[in-house]
Amino acid sequence: MLAGAVIRGGTLREDVHLDVDAVVVGTGAGGSIALRELARAGLRVVGLEEGGFHTSADFNQREEQMLPMLFQDGGGRASTDLAIRILQGRGLGGSTIHNTNLCKPIPDEVLQIWARRHGVVGASPAEMRPYFEQIERELSVSEIPQNMQNANNSALRVGVESLGWKGAPMKHNRIGCQASGFCELGCTYDAKQNALKVVLPQAAEAGARIYSNVEAQRITFANGEITGVRALARGDAGQGVANLKIRARVVVLSASATGSAALAISSGIVDPHEQLGAGLRIHPGAVAAGIFDRDMKSYDGIPQSYECTELLSFEEGSDRRCWIIPAFAHPIGTASMLPGFGAAHMSAMRTYSNLGVLTAMVHDETQGRVSAAHDGRPKISYSMIESDRQQLAKGLVACARLLFAAGAREVTIPAIPPIRLKNKADLDSLDLSQIRPHSVPLTAVHPMGGMRMGEDPKTSAVKSTGEHHHVRGLFACVGGLFPTSIGGPPQIGIYSTALRISKHVIERARR
Amino acid sequence: MRGPAISRRKLLAGVGGALLGASAVVALLRTSGYDVPDEIAGALTSLEPWEYVLLQHAARRICAPDRPGDRSIPTADDTNVAGFADSYIRTMSADLRSDLKKLIALVEHLAPLPLGYRARFTKLDAVAQDRVLASLESNDVALLRGGFAGLKSLIFMGYYRDPRTWRMLGYDGPRVGRPVLGW
Repeated sequence: MLAGAVIRGGTLREDVHLDVDAVVVGTGAGGSIALRELARAGLRVVGLEEGGFHTSADFNQREEQMLPMLFQDGGGRASTDLAIRILQGRGLGGSTIHNTNLCKPIPDEVLQIWARRHGVVGASPAEMRPYFEQIERELSVSEIPQNMQNANNSALRVGVESLGWKGAPMKHNRIGCQASGFCELGCTYDAKQNALKVVLPQAAEAGARIYSNVEAQRITFANGEITGVRALARGDAGQGVANLKIRARVVVLSASATGSAALAISSGIVDPHEQLGAGLRIHPGAVAAGIFDRDMKSYDGIPQSYECTELLSFEEGSDRRCWIIPAFAHPIGTASMLPGFGAAHMSAMRTYSNLGVLTAMVHDETQGRVSAAHDGRPKISYSMIESDRQQLAKGLVACARLLFAAGAREVTIPAIPPIRLKNKADLDSLDLSQIRPHSVPLTAVHPMGGMRMGEDPKTSAVKSTGEHHHVRGLFACVGGLFPTSIGGPPQIGIYSTALRISKHVIERARR
Repeated sequence: MRGPAISRRKLLAGVGGALLGASAVVALLRTSGYDVPDEIAGALTSLEPWEYVLLQHAARRICAPDRPGDRSIPTADDTNVAGFADSYIRTMSADLRSDLKKLIALVEHLAPLPLGYRARFTKLDAVAQDRVLASLESNDVALLRGGFAGLKSLIFMGYYRDPRTWRMLGYDGPRVGRPVLGW
């Protein structure tokens, strides 16, 4: 059903003019839900996806081929100071194609802070619960059983249990999982119950049309009202092949937190308080690697099925803002992360099969900013504040303690120079000031904010309904809506928020 | 009267940007004397021949074997890292591609100078090349450290994509086409 609804940009031979009720830019968690809900409401809706339309048959588990296919900038996107690598998806299904299926609703405490501090209405824990429950049902979310934990996840569980810390198995959206461990390169076995597999086919069945390989270049508006979108269809080599001019009364931005803000900014959307792109959070993370005497083969099996929440609290002002989960990579990812080069690096790579790796991800308070480059692509400025740096250091120390508790004989924190810990006692004398951006390689996979919701136009880009404060008919339906970090995997929060926002989009489109 | 405050981070980033820009200018002036076979030069899609040579040299050091003389370890040339980089760079956005080319120029022409080397990178011996690369990896200018990390990632992608490198890691490779366990 989905294939019949998708028009590949490269096949267009002439310019396209469309007149529809709504355009949804981006087809990930937020965009897929918006497309489906609008189509089910009987509206004429078109989706635009910058990336390609790929299926499980295309996901060949080769890093060097999947990275350029499934990630923005081939996986090389980074903050403007190059301190943080920021992994974001592209292609039909967005980041739900490459994510590792982690499912947690937005914590109640976070939703309460949004209401209390950011003036968000309609998204209290009680109001969001039905949306979370619906999405979890639709995506067949269930807990990963202990017998499916791979060696890396088991090591985290053993570490947690040994130290008497807080931890738990994770819930995922997968059915028929083959435990191959290649989730981050797209699922070869079609086991991910994601936007591509579940939601977009429903949208197509309800009548949505989707253009892949089509880049939205400008949102058009006049007299404070949306008038449509201009876009460019690209061929296989990235060359422009046709222009799309789409008239619509509603435009929904679902092109990631960064892409949505950049498109709005480059389109000249009215923004008197400079809220577009403001308040970006990303959950910056770094890793600690333990060398075990036993064969771990951490690349094998479900990548992330257990979490440690000992250092994670969502209360305001908390000094426990670190989420710890396993983080293993295939050879190219691992080689890029390990410090140094040459003979010493190759020797370190020989321990690959004996490594257990954990990441500490910061529930961040730093507020980055998205701006638009001359070609409209996002530029991401993010300078980690000291309290977040301290959280990162604390988290990495905790990762090292967990790895030692699980039996690691040595722990390395990839830094320049590398931090090598021979035993637990080394942790006591560790100089935590070494753990800082540009010294430790940082990665972020959860951009949030940039299109923050709230009732005050001075502190938010859009209303709680998702509609822009100053341009009627312009909505955001994306993780960019989150006024703060959520301290955990965002996909359930994005799908669910999109479900809530879609009701308001439908209401506007019908006026 | 004090001028506007500028943070060390911004200053260093500015220095990095200026160095990258200067390198690109130098590179424009010094692109002769590189020996690339015609069949390779003619097949390049993203890189200039001199950029290809620089990547070849950098890859040989970055992927240098830990057991010299062990013929079971594939070399950077065996795995055609520079050729892979040429095709990969084609998939990058124009901005990223431009930044990478500036970095290549910097490694070749400017990075050796602070260490007292007057020759360009590709004319240095292996020990000197290692010193230059190490100076970039630990450089005070954050932008250069970040740039080096990007270059290293590209080169390791070219190297560890090759199945011949997987045996020494104990990595079984993709599961596609092989039986899987399931649950």
